[in-house]
Amino acid sequence: MNDGGASLDLNTMTPSQFEEHLPELFATHNGRISDDPAFSSFLNHHPDCAALVRDLEYIAEAARSLLEPAQAEPSDAVWNSIQGKLKIAAAGDEP
Amino acid sequence: MHLEGSPSMTQTKPSPGLFKRNPPIVGEAEAIESAKNGDAEAFSKLYALHKRRVYTLCLRMLGNVSEAEDMTQEAFLHLFRKIGSFRGESAFSTWLHRLTVNLVLMHLRKKGLQLVSLEETINPSEEDAPKRDFGSRDPQLSGSVDRVALERAVGSLPPGYRMVFVLHDVEGFEHNEIATMLECSTGNSKSQLHKARLKLRELLRQTEHLPELKEAVQ
Repeated sequence: MNDGGASLDLNTMTPSQFEEHLPELFATHNGRISDDPAFSSFLNHHPDCAALVRDLEYIAEAARSLLEPAQAEPSDAVWNSIQGKLKIAAAGDEP
Repeated sequence: MHLEGSPSMTQTKPSPGLFKRNPPIVGEAEAIESAKNGDAEAFSKLYALHKRRVYTLCLRMLGNVSEAEDMTQEAFLHLFRKIGSFRGESAFSTWLHRLTVNLVLMHLRKKGLQLVSLEETINPSEEDAPKRDFGSRDPQLSGSVDRVALERAVGSLPPGYRMVFVLHDVEGFEHNEIATMLECSTGNSKSQLHKARLKLRELLRQTEHLPELKEAVQ
């Protein structure tokens, strides 16, 4: 499917067919399907599909919070090694 | 993999979304300009500003502290050599993350993925794949946040799923960018992402953390 779901017949679609289309639907709807009125009737009639969509949207949204790193950081040895290698490189550049 | 001049390193199409997610840091622009002129102090400042994000990215992609530290070092050494080519057409952190992702992928290929396309090798085994338990649960969820549980679940994803999930949902890369970086199709990227989210749902349900996750993002 390459039309982002524009030609999907949600009136006849089964839950398993819907799930097959979900990767493309999420990609073409900016990651949000539950807000789109075009899907509201289908999702109202298929609560399991609605639950799946909602859970996957929550997971994607929560993932953004992981962009800010946790407290973990590289050990001091990493910076020491970087400095050492830069000094060696700088010395090699000198005439 | 070519880091310079490759599609994934060009700055011809800045992503507004990534600018939004990676706003400029106070003092960063000055440090970049000074570092371009060889100012060691400025480079030290850039390291201090970005070491955690770069290290976390490496750790998520590699799942190994020692390798993540090695790749963090490589990323900053590479940055030092290439910072002159940064033209400010995307956020610096976006540019640095892209550089890091490319180095990590090159590292992974050197480790044994050279002869087989990543598209084939990132597919997990049958038991790692998400189970199709459509409609088997109570749709009602409630609870409170647990970032640690999500982090842990992401860490336990099969490598291929984890790679695409981190690049798309955490780092904010588009499917076409991921496809270029991983040398796979955009369809494969979308499919891997979907399977990753399904697997996470399964993992979080097992630990009963999905309700907590839900409330956190509301």
